Amino acid sequence: MNDIGEFTLMVALATSLYGTVAYVMAARGNRIDLYLSADKAPLITWACIVISSIALWKAFFTNDFSLQYVYAYSNIELDYFYKFSSFWGGQKGSLLFWALILTSYMMVVHIQNRSKNLIVVPYAMAVMLAITCFFLFLLNFSTNPFERIPLPPEDGRGLNPLLQNYWMVIHPPTLYLGYVGFTVPFAFAMAALISRNLDDAWIRLTRKWTVVSWFFLCMGNLFGASWAYVELGWGGYWAWDPVENAAFMPLIVATAYLHSVMIQEKKDMMKVWNMSLILLTFVMTIFGTFITRSGLIQSVHTFDEATLGYYFLGLLFFIIAVCTALIISRLPLLKSKNELDSFLSREAGFLFNNLLLLGIAFATFWGTIFPIISEAIRGVKITVGPPFYNQVNVPIGLALLALIGIGPIIAWRKATWSNLRKNFLKPVMFALIGGAILFPVLPLSNRSEIYTYIAFILCIFVLSSMLIEFYKGTMARYASSETYLGALGSLIWNNKRRYGGYTVHIGVVMIYAGIAGSSSYGIHTEKRLKIGETIEIRDYMLRYEKLAAIQATSVKTRIIAQLAVEKDGKKIWTARPEKEFYKGQNQPVSEVDVRSTLASDLYVILADFSEDESATIKVYHNPMVKWLWTGGWIIALGTMVCAWPDRLEQRRRLERLKLQKIVFSPAQE
Amino acid sequence: MIIYLKKIIFVFFIVLFVTIINSSMASAGAVLSDLENQLMCKCDDKCGKVLINCTCSTADKNRKKFTKMLESGLTVDQIVQQQIEKYGETVLSAPTKNGFNLTAWVIPFGAIMIGGIGLRKLINGWVGKNKPDIELQNIEGDVASESGSEKPSEASSSKYSRRLKDELDRLET
Repeated sequence: MNDIGEFTLMVALATSLYGTVAYVMAARGNRIDLYLSADKAPLITWACIVISSIALWKAFFTNDFSLQYVYAYSNIELDYFYKFSSFWGGQKGSLLFWALILTSYMMVVHIQNRSKNLIVVPYAMAVMLAITCFFLFLLNFSTNPFERIPLPPEDGRGLNPLLQNYWMVIHPPTLYLGYVGFTVPFAFAMAALISRNLDDAWIRLTRKWTVVSWFFLCMGNLFGASWAYVELGWGGYWAWDPVENAAFMPLIVATAYLHSVMIQEKKDMMKVWNMSLILLTFVMTIFGTFITRSGLIQSVHTFDEATLGYYFLGLLFFIIAVCTALIISRLPLLKSKNELDSFLSREAGFLFNNLLLLGIAFATFWGTIFPIISEAIRGVKITVGPPFYNQVNVPIGLALLALIGIGPIIAWRKATWSNLRKNFLKPVMFALIGGAILFPVLPLSNRSEIYTYIAFILCIFVLSSMLIEFYKGTMARYASSETYLGALGSLIWNNKRRYGGYTVHIGVVMIYAGIAGSSSYGIHTEKRLKIGETIEIRDYMLRYEKLAAIQATSVKTRIIAQLAVEKDGKKIWTARPEKEFYKGQNQPVSEVDVRSTLASDLYVILADFSEDESATIKVYHNPMVKWLWTGGWIIALGTMVCAWPDRLEQRRRLERLKLQKIVFSPAQE
Repeated sequence: MIIYLKKIIFVFFIVLFVTIINSSMASAGAVLSDLENQLMCKCDDKCGKVLINCTCSTADKNRKKFTKMLESGLTVDQIVQQQIEKYGETVLSAPTKNGFNLTAWVIPFGAIMIGGIGLRKLINGWVGKNKPDIELQNIEGDVASESGSEKPSEASSSKYSRRLKDELDRLET
């Protein structure tokens, strides 16, 4: 099976190369025979990569340690659940997994567009196949997952204990689905540039791809934060690590693209800008891959054998050079009308939203590469950690939060005084009342607490503006509907994109509130305890009951501390934090125990223990962390609504275009 | 009225900005946490984590050491200075705010400010290109003069363009 897996990788490379060339030649030479031949390449490439992937999974499940990759990332005792995820636990498998997702997406695009959009699709397929070629080249000639060990060992080294967590089964695929997903809008953008078909067709063809990829990237980041929270055992979920930044930057640029593209759809403006943004989003996804695989920057997330930096750097420069040249050569065709009615309009709001989003992305990028710049210029390598990002990104993030509230309720084209008063009065009043109520309750002794106070006021403003929009729409429909719920359902169903978007914004507000609350008001305490002794934090008292050792497998020993948690004299929970020792690993792994409610998390860590059964227990009281995860699920709901097929949308678009033509054409001529 | 509103928004953001800047001068919270936030973990594994986020045995040892140093009367700044002398600037979790390192702090805000000014100019240019009210009035005037009827009053013209805008606002999204 390993030979078949290796062979199919080679066939996939040859097929994808042929497909790339054949698609381009068919499109340029208008040759239908070549097109029909090229059209078989995506299926063959995909099938070959599926066979290779099955071969690698089989090697993991059958403990085939003749493969160097299986030996390095698995062992006999490893749970099947983690044998499945070991596939992407190292560099080689993760690249194969990337190729698997990319070719699966390519197959969906292929099926969706069969015999349709024949001007753009061949070029888009060629771009996707070319990117597949790059990954297959690496897999065949640089980092082959089917590399053999001449004398196979009896057991493997095992998967890194930090990766033996259920979030690690979910987080990387989700992130990859997002990263790779942006290849589709990028490919269509390139295809539009190459074929000079530069109306908004490519945007409409890829809108759902963009929304779904954005969703996966967003959830991938959140799942990664969840993993860090429960696995790294320091009481937090985001450390502004270079690799976290690498996943965060494309999300932010993609968010800017998702918003600015609406202006092109509505007003046929900003074509160059949107092209540049989708290019930048894709470049950022490759940059993230470059960081994890170059060994250039130290991080807990980089791969052990990070040696592919030059290949990815080359790819980055190649993409940037080709895309820039294409955009410059097509500038006359990308010329837009670029007219605005007023500075006070939703269009201007979108532009400032783009500025702030790109500001955050740039600040994060700048912080990530500054150590390299410093070393190159001064010869001194410095570190850029959380204090930098918090001081730079938080003020920009707060301004962005204000715009999230302003954007949806300010009028398109031109906001009049009456429009502003009508739409802003209530949300501003709610925010001010909320601010007045919170003022005596919240401590405001340092910068972090003041930021949090401002964030809460802005969250109330945004949330009330969104909820008022839902309320107004529901009440308008209530007359023709029997129930309020029916009216709300009909409102959302008939305006999926708008109200799905508002729902996503509500989720984002919850995430903001969760970050603000948990980063400012969290406290922690630590105490060495003997059996029967207690440790207190806020209203909770934790009584240390016992320490137990369990030999879970031949390679894993669990040391579990048991603590009874009491509140107001009543036992409410039993905490069981543990330390896991893996054979052959220097450091034990902390498995924290968390009691999570919307108000706060009680986060218990077994920091240390000794033979006399005394233990050092660390307890964190983290307020509002659950708001983050709840916000994530609300975003998921909103995205589902946005991406749901909408038959009315096309009709509305045509009506709007017709109306715009009738009303504005004389004035614009 | 719009100009008045713009002034209020401008003043609001200035006050907000000054509040934030002032608050940065506010006193630090827990001393050990502050120290842990300023320093990176320097374990053999080169974990690349800030000390406060690190759970390795080296980080635990350092925490205990720093607690003792703080109890002995050393300030956070003195301990940080000692660490810089021992490991170099790389032990700090963020660039210092002087010399070349200042560029790390200034450039992101500078880029946003330049971008903001550029965007403002761009939007002003785009707004200047499009004057629908005036053009609409001109068209109505032309139509009226062609048909020989009287030119419609400014009030009725603005009334119609307002109504048109209101209807488009309702139609939007």
